[in-house]
Amino acid sequence: MKKIEAIIQPFKMEPVKEALKAIGIDGMTLTEVRGHGRQKGHKEVYRGQEYNVDLLPKMKIELVVSDARLEEVLRTLTTAARTGKIGDGKIFVYDVAEAIRIRNDDRGEAAL
Amino acid sequence: MMIAEKQLFDPVRALEERTSAVDILVRKAWQEHLAVSAQAGAALLAVGGYGRRQLFPYSDVDLLLLFASDKTATSLKDAISRFLQHLWDGGLRVSQSVRTPAECSELHDENIELNVSLLDQRYLAGDAAVYGALLDRLPRFVHGQRDALIRHLSRMTRQRHASFNGTFYHLEPNIKEAPGGLRDLQLISWLAQIASTTPKWLAPPAPAPDLDEARRFLFALRGYLHQHAQRDSNVLSFDAQEWVAEQTGVNEPAHLMRDYFRNARAVHRSALRVLETEEARASSLFAQFRDRRARVSNAEFTVSRERVFFRSPPQLDAEPELLLRLVQFVARHGVRLSLEAEQRIAARLPALREYFASPRPIWPAIHEALSLPHAPLALRAAHETGALTAVFPEMEEIDCLVIRDFYHRYTVDEHTLVAIQTLVQLREAKITGAAPYAGLLSEIEQPGLLIFALLFHDVGKGSPEEGHVDASLRIAEHAMERIQMPTAERETARFLIRCHLEMSSTMNGRDPFDPATAEYLAHKVGTVENLKYLTLVTYADISAVNPTAMTSWRAEQLWQLYLLTYNELTRELETERIERGDSPERSAFLEGFPTRYLRTHPAAEIERHMQLELESRVRGAAAEIEKAGGAYRLTLVTLDRPFLFASVAGAISSFGMNILKAEAFANRRGTVLDTFSFADPLRTLELNPTEVDRLKATLERAALGRADVKQLLRSRPRVPSPSRKARIEPSVYVDDQVSQSATLIQVVAEDRPGLLYDIASTISSHEASIDVVLIDTEAHKAIDVFYVTAHGRKLAVEQQRELQSALLAVLLG
Repeated sequence: MKKIEAIIQPFKMEPVKEALKAIGIDGMTLTEVRGHGRQKGHKEVYRGQEYNVDLLPKMKIELVVSDARLEEVLRTLTTAARTGKIGDGKIFVYDVAEAIRIRNDDRGEAAL
Repeated sequence: MMIAEKQLFDPVRALEERTSAVDILVRKAWQEHLAVSAQAGAALLAVGGYGRRQLFPYSDVDLLLLFASDKTATSLKDAISRFLQHLWDGGLRVSQSVRTPAECSELHDENIELNVSLLDQRYLAGDAAVYGALLDRLPRFVHGQRDALIRHLSRMTRQRHASFNGTFYHLEPNIKEAPGGLRDLQLISWLAQIASTTPKWLAPPAPAPDLDEARRFLFALRGYLHQHAQRDSNVLSFDAQEWVAEQTGVNEPAHLMRDYFRNARAVHRSALRVLETEEARASSLFAQFRDRRARVSNAEFTVSRERVFFRSPPQLDAEPELLLRLVQFVARHGVRLSLEAEQRIAARLPALREYFASPRPIWPAIHEALSLPHAPLALRAAHETGALTAVFPEMEEIDCLVIRDFYHRYTVDEHTLVAIQTLVQLREAKITGAAPYAGLLSEIEQPGLLIFALLFHDVGKGSPEEGHVDASLRIAEHAMERIQMPTAERETARFLIRCHLEMSSTMNGRDPFDPATAEYLAHKVGTVENLKYLTLVTYADISAVNPTAMTSWRAEQLWQLYLLTYNELTRELETERIERGDSPERSAFLEGFPTRYLRTHPAAEIERHMQLELESRVRGAAAEIEKAGGAYRLTLVTLDRPFLFASVAGAISSFGMNILKAEAFANRRGTVLDTFSFADPLRTLELNPTEVDRLKATLERAALGRADVKQLLRSRPRVPSPSRKARIEPSVYVDDQVSQSATLIQVVAEDRPGLLYDIASTISSHEASIDVVLIDTEAHKAIDVFYVTAHGRKLAVEQQRELQSALLAVLLG
């Protein structure tokens, strides 16, 4: 099992959710986050005052999938989240040691 | 099962029948196990819901075993066990307590429920003398401890309400414990009972007769819930909503919930009213406050006991618009309506509806009410009494309308009121991260108009087949026509309703840093003013979806979008120019004006401007002054020349006028169109109509350089400066990048008479030419944007620096 953590542009949230749903992935955790990578922040001027926007709003998606589905899910995610510009975000993949469904003690992929 | 089925017809009777059936079982068990061994000194009482004869299918059977003394109780321990076991074996869930009459007439701070449950006590079996002893003591106890009992009940109720966030709007409500639920019905009955009890007489339970319908509804609903869950479950879950809707033939769960919310609202309102009245009686501090509030009474309304009364109730019959003044009164002072006032309104609703159904010029009165500090309270009071739907029957469409989705926490009417409340609360600066939005709210000219738009933004949700935005627009159109709202306000309200989802969907669906996004939104909103209105509507609308919808993350995202669009609107003044008009005459006039000009001026106004331009060819300059709302608007057309803008601004100030907004554009042929909006704080023009012509003539002379503006300014009338809490630090920002051909200078400073003249003449004296101007003021803060050039190009770096220092020096005065 693998855990996928994707940091994406907020406006790509809906297309990504739809694309994952289309391949049968419904379960995921979404968090509103702030951050920057190479996009850095930028400066805005509003009425003579400078506003430093150094941390940009992003969405974090976390989901755990079976090893067999990993590539398909990553492909779907990157395609749906891509604009081709700086700031599109990143995806990290981790190994997952165990998954347990609290309700009935299902373990492993059965708990996904 | 049979009882539950009967609830379809008469829930109160069904519960009484079930209670009687259980009475038989309980008395039989008493007879069998305790009657012989406890011939004297023991009695059996029904308490709580069972005592009230309101025994639901899976409710506990609350019993009080009353013994003359502890000794008697101890001696009968085994018999008591057998008695209880018998009942449990018979399928009853018994909840029992064992007490003496003396214990029953002590205040149990830690177990106030016991004291309260005795209010519903009912004799079942046993020694009548022991019961008599209790009956002797109980009235004296309830009367003597009246204040303490009320205080405890009040505390428990407030805690209970707080655990449900103080609202009865829950997607899956607990119909017993939540505000507006069965527990509140009992509270009303208990408080009335406690209040009426004398030292010698225990008043009977006193259910509120006006809540009979709500009681029957909630009773039936609880019966269904027990039947559905097969246990004592009081949560109206989504599953249960569907099941109950199907069982009762309502079919649509949303309709069932609409009925539930309407009933819960009535119960909640009554419970709060009774609670506040009783709490007030116990607090001397409150009484002092109450007296202080009485001072706001006027010729039409009295404030007493922290409530508003009609001074002469029949006046409402003769003068229906008194209702609007009452709403204004509540909105101004934040005092709630008295029961009498509510009843008076309720009795007059048909006549009020008929009166307000005809077109009437009531917009000014409505606008005033919506602009006052307690507008949300006033709207809520109007909504609850039916006054709101009497004036705006359109609102009936969304009354308690449930939208079943994962995000919306409230019914549509509640969402609307919460949105308005959120907006007004910005003024109190209580919400973390909301400061920029509070700033915007203080800048807009007509907050009342904003609230009107919010009131109607979702009214079309009652017509889902049409698309809610279109339906809201159609419905609002009728209302605006009827209340005779002026054209300009109507246009803004239409824009806000039509575009109220625009910023949310842009945030969710477009890249904010893509220049096309800001460009798209800038074209949608047209002006900075509209952008401010729309940003506030969006903020309030998202915040009212549910209590956690407006996260600081989302607030930042929205602010970012505002900022980018604001800058785009300011930038495009210079960069986006009209290339050609649709006729040679229009082309000649329009070519070179910012495209914003077409978006912000209706066709008729453009025609008038062209007419002025024709006049200016004869006289050299043509000015027009008209009254617009609370301010005056000057339009001036002339050929450009150095110091032109400064001279016009100075001439206006020389008459004691206070410039609020200004725009100046030049077309390719060098014709300049200046528009100024100004206030007349000394009412010079209003009191001396001939001064308008003199001002116009002076302006035309100033435009042609034939008036000594400096001299005029020296003799201008002095306007007293308003007191202010904090001084505004002046700043001059210069940007060379936003435009290809001009330098942007943005000045922020404390407003003062003649300020614009000083700034503009400083720019002109540095041999800079003012291409485009956008002037705005917020309270005492002036925000002026100038696009300037020197010999058709951007200013040189050295020139920028010199001008910046010179402007700062002028501002620091």
